[in-house]
Amino acid sequence: MSLSPVDGAALAEIESGGAAGAEAGVSRERRIVGRSPGQLAWLRLRRDRTALVSGAMLVLFVLVALAAPLIELAYGIGPRDQFQSKLDGFGMPLGYAGGVSGDHFFGLEPGLGRDIFIRLVHGLRTSLFIAFAAAVLTAVIGVVLGTLAGYLGGWLDAVVNWITDLTLALPFLVIALALTPTLTLRFYGQRDAVPPAFGIGVLIAIFAVFGWTSTARLVRGQVIALREREFVEAARASGAGLGHMLFRQLLPNTWAPILVSFSLAVPQFITSEAALSFIGVGLTEETPSFGRMIYQSLDYLQTDPAFVFFPGVTIFALVFAFNLFGDALRDALDPKSSR
Amino acid sequence: MRPRVAAAAGGAIALLVALGACTKNTGEGASVDTERQQTGVIATDPKDSMGPAPAVDGAQAGGTFTVIRETPISHLDPQRTYSFAGLMAAPLFARFLTTWKDDGKGNLVLVGDLAETPGSNVNDDCKVWEFKIKDGVKFEDGRPVTAKEIAYGIARSFDPDLSGGPTYLQEWLADTPQYDTRWDFKANRSALPPGLTTPDDRTLRFEFAKPRCDLPFAVSLPATAPLPPDKDTGVNLGNAPFSSGPYKVTRYQAGVEIVMERNEHWDPDTDPVRHQYPDRFVWSFGPTPDAAANRVIADNGADQSALSWNYVPASLVARVAGDAALRPRTVLSPTPSANQLVINNQRVTDLKVRQALNYAVDREGLVKVLGGQNIAAPMTTLMPSATIGYQAYDAYPAGPNGDPEKARELLGGQTPELVLGAADSSVEQQVATQLKGNLERAGFKITIRNIPDDAKLEEIKKKDNPWDLYLGSWAADWPSGASILPVLYDGRSIKAEGNSNQAYFNDPAINAEFDRILTLSPAEQGPEWAKLDERIMKEHAPVVPLYVDVAYLVHGSKAGGVFVSSVFGYPSFVNAHLKP
Amino acid sequence: MARFLVKRTLSAVLTLFAVSMLTFLMFFALPRDPVSGMCPKNCNPERLERVRQELGLRDPLVSQYAGYMKGIVTGRDLGSAQGGRCDAPCLGWSYVNNEAVTDTLARVLPVTASIVIPAAILWLLLGVGLGMVSALRRGTWLDRAAIGFSLTGASLQLYFVGAVLLLVFVYTLRWLPVPGYTSLFEDPVRWASGLVLAWVSLAFLFSAIYARLFRAQMLETLSEDFVRTARAKGLSRTRVYGRHALRAAITPVVTVAGLDVGAALGGTVITETTFGIQGLGRTAVEAVRAGDLPTIMATVLVAAVFVVLANVLVDLLYAAIDPRVRLG
Repeated sequence: MSLSPVDGAALAEIESGGAAGAEAGVSRERRIVGRSPGQLAWLRLRRDRTALVSGAMLVLFVLVALAAPLIELAYGIGPRDQFQSKLDGFGMPLGYAGGVSGDHFFGLEPGLGRDIFIRLVHGLRTSLFIAFAAAVLTAVIGVVLGTLAGYLGGWLDAVVNWITDLTLALPFLVIALALTPTLTLRFYGQRDAVPPAFGIGVLIAIFAVFGWTSTARLVRGQVIALREREFVEAARASGAGLGHMLFRQLLPNTWAPILVSFSLAVPQFITSEAALSFIGVGLTEETPSFGRMIYQSLDYLQTDPAFVFFPGVTIFALVFAFNLFGDALRDALDPKSSR
Repeated sequence: MRPRVAAAAGGAIALLVALGACTKNTGEGASVDTERQQTGVIATDPKDSMGPAPAVDGAQAGGTFTVIRETPISHLDPQRTYSFAGLMAAPLFARFLTTWKDDGKGNLVLVGDLAETPGSNVNDDCKVWEFKIKDGVKFEDGRPVTAKEIAYGIARSFDPDLSGGPTYLQEWLADTPQYDTRWDFKANRSALPPGLTTPDDRTLRFEFAKPRCDLPFAVSLPATAPLPPDKDTGVNLGNAPFSSGPYKVTRYQAGVEIVMERNEHWDPDTDPVRHQYPDRFVWSFGPTPDAAANRVIADNGADQSALSWNYVPASLVARVAGDAALRPRTVLSPTPSANQLVINNQRVTDLKVRQALNYAVDREGLVKVLGGQNIAAPMTTLMPSATIGYQAYDAYPAGPNGDPEKARELLGGQTPELVLGAADSSVEQQVATQLKGNLERAGFKITIRNIPDDAKLEEIKKKDNPWDLYLGSWAADWPSGASILPVLYDGRSIKAEGNSNQAYFNDPAINAEFDRILTLSPAEQGPEWAKLDERIMKEHAPVVPLYVDVAYLVHGSKAGGVFVSSVFGYPSFVNAHLKP
Repeated sequence: MARFLVKRTLSAVLTLFAVSMLTFLMFFALPRDPVSGMCPKNCNPERLERVRQELGLRDPLVSQYAGYMKGIVTGRDLGSAQGGRCDAPCLGWSYVNNEAVTDTLARVLPVTASIVIPAAILWLLLGVGLGMVSALRRGTWLDRAAIGFSLTGASLQLYFVGAVLLLVFVYTLRWLPVPGYTSLFEDPVRWASGLVLAWVSLAFLFSAIYARLFRAQMLETLSEDFVRTARAKGLSRTRVYGRHALRAAITPVVTVAGLDVGAALGGTVITETTFGIQGLGRTAVEAVRAGDLPTIMATVLVAAVFVVLANVLVDLLYAAIDPRVRLG
């Protein structure tokens, strides 16, 4: 049930680069100025042109997503408005390139005749929200379980490890496919309107349940490495409690790889949402989302390439920007890198 | 550097995708002959039932004809066959009591297949029917087919293990829907069900408790295929049926491929409809309808003699229809599959609301959503135009785009809040979205409630289903009003689950009409059904008729003789052949 | 070593057990009735109910589960409607496919394996090669091109790449036949030409990730002491990079590859759907849609077996490749 190849590889990648990052401290900088590793990373990031460009792209995407209602107001067309009079007898948009015009920047969807631009803007909002929420949740679950397992070890470690194995062995797609209708019935009567927020929530929950394992493994490895370090032993010897150990001693020293893993998880969830739509899981027709748009557009590759082009390029640009930024972030956090 | 790579990659995709985007779409379409009428008669002259079938122009023998389809045919057991693919494949390897002589253009005659005539109504009361079996019809091992083997085939369809097929004969013979409790096949393998007898080797006799005037139609279904008892392999017959038709199954790879090769014991002189042109038929399963259509369009190698079973998908219709070179390789024909917005009459009891729904719907917009007139044709009647005796009418004339004002007027200021149950399949979601828009424009408040695609049918077949509206479709088993109107609108048949009357419509006066018409002879029934159709719509508006499916098929340049069956709306292979 | 194997096996069996139980529970909670789908038009409730009882769907959940598990170990009798005696390992009878589930598996497993194994070889070679070049030529245009390639690959989706490849190579240029599965032993050429697009698109996306991973590993290793020592001892560049550094850097790649291949063998749903090939993944998805419980159980279990096996194998391989790892 392999959904995204990124999972395992990203983890291993971060472990190698990131572990070194946590260890190294300040060595390469010539002028000895008292800078924290965080400040150093920020400096490096600012000097990296790639990071700046991809970062700017991301900010733009987030702004567009946040401003969706305003854009809708200015554009004058809503995501559910239909323009079927601008379609031909086959339901294909009239005019050039899928009906691109001054009124419809990216043209119209075949069939229902909805405006692609405004649906993309709203879809961006949905997809980014799902991806960020899922990434935050997986990070939290992964960090908590990983730290506890790594620090306390023993039976807890064994149990967490086993649950990780079990989660990996469970078929993500099959369960997502089966669970969505069941959950809907569990929470809503058969005549109730199911708000889009519910579908979004279910998706986030499914991602959280299946996505935490890589972060947990990563954090566990980091914590095990830190556990034996002098400063941790010193704190332990001076009688610090569990909470202090976890939050004051261990976590501050693992934030770098967690951050990188987070930045790489977001695009992964964006593409996963699209992949789920592909097999028929996910949001309903009424909620504009990237996944559904792309899935529906692919069939029109020959008859309405513009319909494939606009959503396809947008999701590619978004995911690409995230990946570029994640890469740059890792380089910045890794003092050994000398880009 | 990396951003430049990004730009380059993006540019490459843009270029690729934009290749086809530079032509202006000005919107010209084709037209489908949806108003043609079925002539549908039952042959009275025994000569019509005699072979051989007239030769097909330009047809020659030889070659391999391939049929590409996404989902496999679940089994080839004739007694369990009910899917369209099964119904269209079965004539290749099985013969039935009667069959349809069909030219795919509306000329439809029911003729005897294994029987010499389409049955004789012994006492003219439709209660006793006799069929004389032809001389010279044989199984694939050369044994003659007699009334005994046909009777055995019907008998084994009583076996609950062999469910899935039609149940008309069982229910009529046993005179109860619980036919398997009335007569136990497993305990009586050497006997015959009540009412079914074989006075001699060449006579098959049905005796029913009630008049069953549709019997000649019902025995055209594959459930009347003959089988010698010693060849009955139970559930495994689906993998290796015993042939009586022009082809026999020589290879059955579940889910992958079925190969049928010529059956040398089939005698064309006994068969009024089938031919035996190709050396073999290959059914190949797996490719999605999109892939299959693309493959056939590409017309490479073996695909030149292939047919894509599925209709051209909506996303490709514009491409296929817009290519003049493809025109000789396509078949366009309306089908008898009728689609409605079904109103749950138990919940929506106000006639005005149901009439308003009928006025509000924009059929032209709906057809666009579905992919245009090569996919769907609007309809306003309960029976599709392919039904015997069909008369066109529009009880609620609202123009092609609906009449929201008229609907509002009928609603008289109220805002009915209705729940539309829709399958979560891609197409149905879009249709539901479209209808919601139509209805809200007319003053309704619509909630779309999703139902898992595969569960939807069984859910709406439950009497107490919670939805007010849902999309329903009906493809009759034979083109007579008798297999449409009473099945869909007789309220006395409503049960807890498994209902065909999904509108849950029940009206004593209409029920009485059903009873009256059903006792008429098949020839007299046609116009009566058409009148009743209009009466039901005018007086009760139990559903909103939406559209009939249109079959749009594409085949390779060497494939010929394919036409769309007027009875089932899917490709028929009796005339299939390969061109040089 | 022996102790490790025993421990690992026990945990693996426990995992599989849990997977089977969870799947069973989950699908019985589904609002689906596998029986209603059996009679398309005129069904009556009483007959349906009899069929349900005959199939044991009215038995308590525990005894249904026990019956299923017993079938896997000893085989069981399913009744005449389900093909009669079902020998161990009996995975049940599918009404939807009208065949024993073991037959379904025997048909679709080779398909998925034929997609995944050649693709994996391709993506490993491509990924490691690209990563190697880019690490050794760090900072040059070659490196940048390789990074660009891998980031592009990591940002594209298979269904997108697949659709474009199909349009270009199959429908427009017609260089390749339409994807489909032919047995390798029947016709190797058709086997390869029918699957090559699936291999290429999988390899493109996966190798991208492996290239990045391997590059990072290689850079890491090159800065390690033993490599510098080896160079200082006067060993040739090729010998150092080819033998020592490669060996050390490839370990995490093997780990990830093992897990990826394990997961992919359990079904490449998107690939199979995109190219219209009927493998394990598509079978599983269709089974869920149709409420075909025996097929769901079987496909989920088989997929889980692959993942769990891959986990164990990776641990063993790790020890074999990297002399620093001792299993205990």
